[in-house]
Amino acid sequence: MVTRLAPDSRTLFPTAESEARSRRSPVVEAEHLLLALTAQSDSDAARLLASVGLTHADVVTALDREFETSLAAAGVDATVSGLTPSTPDAPRHLRLGASFKAAMTRSVTAAAGSPRIRPEHLLLGILGAEVGTVPRALRLAGVDQAELATLTEQAIGP
Amino acid sequence: MPSIRIDPDRTPADGLAAVVALRRLADLMEDAEVERAMRSGWSWPQVAEALGVTRQAVHKKHAQRLIAAGVDLRRR
Repeated sequence: MVTRLAPDSRTLFPTAESEARSRRSPVVEAEHLLLALTAQSDSDAARLLASVGLTHADVVTALDREFETSLAAAGVDATVSGLTPSTPDAPRHLRLGASFKAAMTRSVTAAAGSPRIRPEHLLLGILGAEVGTVPRALRLAGVDQAELATLTEQAIGP
Repeated sequence: MPSIRIDPDRTPADGLAAVVALRRLADLMEDAEVERAMRSGWSWPQVAEALGVTRQAVHKKHAQRLIAAGVDLRRR
């Protein structure tokens, strides 16, 4: 599968890992890949995301809100900015999380008819999640996930 | 102090997302609190006992990070 990744897809992986690290996550999840996509300059996927109001900063805000909203459901009133800071872990290879792996599996399926897995296929794989952090964050950001998936499919073309 | 109250009308999606968020909160708090304790002169065995884990586990998880942060860990 790795050999089928387009060069601009391959570069997303180290970025996703540093996004996970900067969000203090020991695991790389689908939301970190989404953040990596928004940070990619000169990419169709990043332009598409920005066109629906999802720049890198917007996704960070949406993920923080999702975290706070989910904590609130358990009666915990905490804000991301109010957390005590700590020294980040030394750089090392992070584990891939279940949501990341699921997004990759869907991306491979989405790219079945293409010679390469492009960033747009990865975005489609992320948007295929029905539940979890990304769908919740997108909803909080006011983004219609199904519509974004349709736009992504159109960008990929037949 | 406001009491912690779990919303009785939460949806399953909210309840499951709360579990994910609480785990993340606990991880973030552990990083911050272990660092605070070690900066205040706690020993590894004390931190381990307070967390209810082995000394090896807490050391493996946090030592590298705290050394990088410049916390003096000699003879602890």
